[in-house]
Amino acid sequence: MRNIMLKEIKLSASPLAFLFIAFGLMFFIPGYPILCGAFFVTLGIFQSFQTAREANDIVFSALLPIAKNDVVKGKFLFVCFIEACAFLLMTVSTVIRMTALADAAVYRSNALMNANPFALGMAMFIFGLFNLVFVGGFFKTAYKQGRPFVAYIIVGFLAVAAAEALHHIPGLGALNAFGTDHLGLQLVLLAAGMLAFVLLTLLSYNKACKDFDRIDL
Amino acid sequence: MSVIEVRHLVKKYPSFELSDASFSVEAGRITGFIGRNGAGKTTTIKSMFNLIHPDGGEIDYFGKSLIGNEKEIKKRIGYSTGTVNWYPRKKIRDIVSIVRGFYDSWDDAAYRKYLELFNLDEQKAPIELSEGMKVKFNLLLALSHRAEVLILDEPTSGLDPFSRSELLDIFTGLKNDGVAVFFSTHIISDIEKCADDIVYISGGKIAAAMPLEQFVRELSAEGESLEDTMLRMERGDHNA
Repeated sequence: MRNIMLKEIKLSASPLAFLFIAFGLMFFIPGYPILCGAFFVTLGIFQSFQTAREANDIVFSALLPIAKNDVVKGKFLFVCFIEACAFLLMTVSTVIRMTALADAAVYRSNALMNANPFALGMAMFIFGLFNLVFVGGFFKTAYKQGRPFVAYIIVGFLAVAAAEALHHIPGLGALNAFGTDHLGLQLVLLAAGMLAFVLLTLLSYNKACKDFDRIDL
Repeated sequence: MSVIEVRHLVKKYPSFELSDASFSVEAGRITGFIGRNGAGKTTTIKSMFNLIHPDGGEIDYFGKSLIGNEKEIKKRIGYSTGTVNWYPRKKIRDIVSIVRGFYDSWDDAAYRKYLELFNLDEQKAPIELSEGMKVKFNLLLALSHRAEVLILDEPTSGLDPFSRSELLDIFTGLKNDGVAVFFSTHIISDIEKCADDIVYISGGKIAAAMPLEQFVRELSAEGESLEDTMLRMERGDHNA
């Protein structure tokens, strides 16, 4: 598996995938829909898939002495690696906002969603949607990327809009907690987002393996 | 000894069918796989790599079925697809540094030897290589992991006569080292120059699979060249 990851990182990936990890720091931006950061991270991964297609990466990988499932596994591992790196940056940004910057006026007066564990959970949920809709959709043909990416843009931005809107609904204000307020609820929501990520990714991976095994390259 | 056995291979497309293709490839021999454009050569070769799913038939390597033993078999075979660019903008050195990790049998001495023999510059990217050099790069990867079988899809297409001749000489050298070479071509003189066996495919059907000598003896009319024989057979006249 180490070899496949090395191939993904050194041969298949676009530099943008690594560069766009930095969009995880958008969790610091006040007055901005911070979950767009998660979307921009996935945009870098999408670019990697395009670069790989131009390099005939899938057929090259399928010719290597590995099982066909390992080609799919390599892609998912790479995607999850980039997402994990971005999540780490988002987490660092969120922890700083929850502690050292908890009372910063610029964040307190933020009209949009606050950076808190719920936001992190939603970022993971969006990554899960990317893995399900785009990565899974790509492996239906191992070639077509436009349709699954457009489908992901739609569901991804619906998720961003829903996350931004929820705390305005009466009774759900705790979703937009500052500092360590409602920490128990916030951590449960983070765990739910992470669980959704794992489930969506596993579901997508299993389906992608079946689809990839069926198609003619 | 047969290193590849293809039995009753069938692949149906809406406008083309590869039907009941059977042939074998022997160790230490060069097998030319010849047929006109669209005859089914690439479909057969893709099936041999499990890149496409046949509708029927079996493919064995070294006495083992490709299905279920793919990983192990692929370590022992090499491939080349002449016109395809892998990672066109990456340096050869970088591609090789990744590929070598996949093969326990990677042989650095062989890699250096063929790098020099093929006059390839590690610092170049595939996009900077001529068609002939691209084929040589693919061969370099295959030979550096001591492939026992080379499966080459149209390796001589697009090459100038000098490069073609050079490549065919390399095949002969590999054969003498015990490697089985199976290469597809639509250039009949390639077969005449170096093949021991011939697999002739026409309209998705294997029209002949036998040693070249036997092919000439049984199917060519007196004084007829191999090219004339094939042109006649391609027109549907199979009687010498």
